[in-house]
Amino acid sequence: MRLFPRSPRVLAAIAVVLAVAAFVFWWLTRPDPFPASAIPTHQANLENGETLYHAGSCHACHRPPEGASDASLPSGGTPFPTPIGVFYPQNITPDRETGIGGWSEADFVSAMTRGLAPDGRHYFPAFPYVAYRAMRLPDLLDLRAYLMRLKPVRAVHPPHGVPLLGFARRGVGLWKRLALARPPWSAAGGTSASWMRGAYLVNAPGHCGECHNPKNWLMLEDLGRYMQGGPHPAGDGKVPSLVGLQAREKYEDAAQLTLALQNGEELGFEDLSSGGMGLIQSNLAKLPESDVRAISEYLLSLK
Amino acid sequence: MSLTKRTLALSAGLSIALAGAWGVARAADNPAHQRHEAMETVQESFKPLRAIAVKEAPFDAAVVKKNASTILEKLKEAHGLFPEGSGGGDSRAKAEIWSDRAGFDKAMQEAQAAAAAMAAVTDEAAYMPAMKTLGGSCKACHDKYRLPKQ
Repeated sequence: MRLFPRSPRVLAAIAVVLAVAAFVFWWLTRPDPFPASAIPTHQANLENGETLYHAGSCHACHRPPEGASDASLPSGGTPFPTPIGVFYPQNITPDRETGIGGWSEADFVSAMTRGLAPDGRHYFPAFPYVAYRAMRLPDLLDLRAYLMRLKPVRAVHPPHGVPLLGFARRGVGLWKRLALARPPWSAAGGTSASWMRGAYLVNAPGHCGECHNPKNWLMLEDLGRYMQGGPHPAGDGKVPSLVGLQAREKYEDAAQLTLALQNGEELGFEDLSSGGMGLIQSNLAKLPESDVRAISEYLLSLK
Repeated sequence: MSLTKRTLALSAGLSIALAGAWGVARAADNPAHQRHEAMETVQESFKPLRAIAVKEAPFDAAVVKKNASTILEKLKEAHGLFPEGSGGGDSRAKAEIWSDRAGFDKAMQEAQAAAAAMAAVTDEAAYMPAMKTLGGSCKACHDKYRLPKQ
C-alpha cells in the first residue's frame, strides 16, 4: 500500500472533502452581529453607566500596565494569563484609532453580548460576553455612554500570545455555537428588590461566575455546581466557593460581607486579596453602598 | 513496676520525646511554616484594630499600641523567612518574591513602616488613615506576591 495515493481521482476526492470541511467551518463560524435596527432611542444615564462600569470591574482587566501615566483609565494592555495563552486586553477608552471611539452603539452591544469586534472577528471568551448577555439593553447603552465620556488614551498592545492566533480566533466561533446557545442568566426566585438587584449585579455585569463557577471540559460553566469554585484560571491555586459563606463562618452576616467588599484587606479581610480578587474588590468598593449590600445579600443566600 | 512495664514506659516516653523533637526540628528548618505562623499572629492582632475601626470597640491607644507592635514584630520576623527556594508545595508565596526581590522587600518595608506608624497613633483622628495605610500595605503585597489558596 502506498502512503500517498497518486490517483487523480483520490486526490480530487480529498480536495473536495477538505473544501467542504473548510466551507462548513467558515459557515459555522460566521459572525452574527447585533442589528443596528434593534438599538432603541435612548437617553443615556451616565451615573448608571458608571455603576455598571464598577460592577463589571472593567478596569481590573482593562487597566494599563504598571507605570502608565493614566493608571485610572481603562486603556488596556496589562497581560492577562490564561491556560491557552497570554491576552492583552483591549483599550476601551474612546480613542478613535486604538480604542472604542469609533464604535457605534450596535458595535458595542455586539461586542458585549455576541463577542464580536466591529470588523466581525470573534473575541476570545477571556472577555466575559457570555455573562454580559444577561445585561439589559439600556444598561449596556448607559455603560457605553459612560466609556465614551472618559478621556481618550492612545494605546497600542501586542497581539495575544495564543498559538495560531488567526485560526484560533475564527475557531472561537465554534465554541460560541455551544456557549451562546445556552440561555443567558435570568433572575428566578427573588425574595426582595435588593436580592434581585444583587442577583443581577453578580450574574450579569459582575460576571462572578467566570471564575467562581467550575468549568467543564468544553470550558463551559458547570451550572450544576453554581458558584462552588474551582481551579484558578491563571493556573496556580483555587478560586473559593461562594456557597454557604455564612454556614462556613466566612462572614457573620450581610453587614459584615458588605464591609468586607467595601474595604477588603484595608480592614483586614485578607480573603479578598490575592488571585485577582483584590482588584475586583477595589472596583466593587466604588459602587453605591446599597448595591454592595444587595450583592452581599444575594451571595449569602447561596446555600 | 516490673522491668517490662518500665521498659515499655521508657520507650513510649522516648518515642514521644523523639517525635516532638522531630516536629520542632522540622518546623524550625521550614521557613514557609514559620512565616505562615507569624502571619497568622498578624491576622489575629489585626482583629482588635478592625473592631475599633468599625466602632465595635472604643478607641484605646493602649490596645492600638500593643497590637500594632505585635504586628510590626511579626512582620519583621516573617520578612526574614523568605530564603531563595522556600516557595512551592503548600506555600502561597509567588515566584515573583524572588524574581522581583527588590519590589517584595520594598512592599514588606512599607508594611513595617505602616505598622510602626499605627503603633504611634495616640489620637482617634489619626486612627482611620493609619488603618487604611496599614491594611492597604497588606493588600498591595498580597495582591502581587501571594498566590490564591492552594
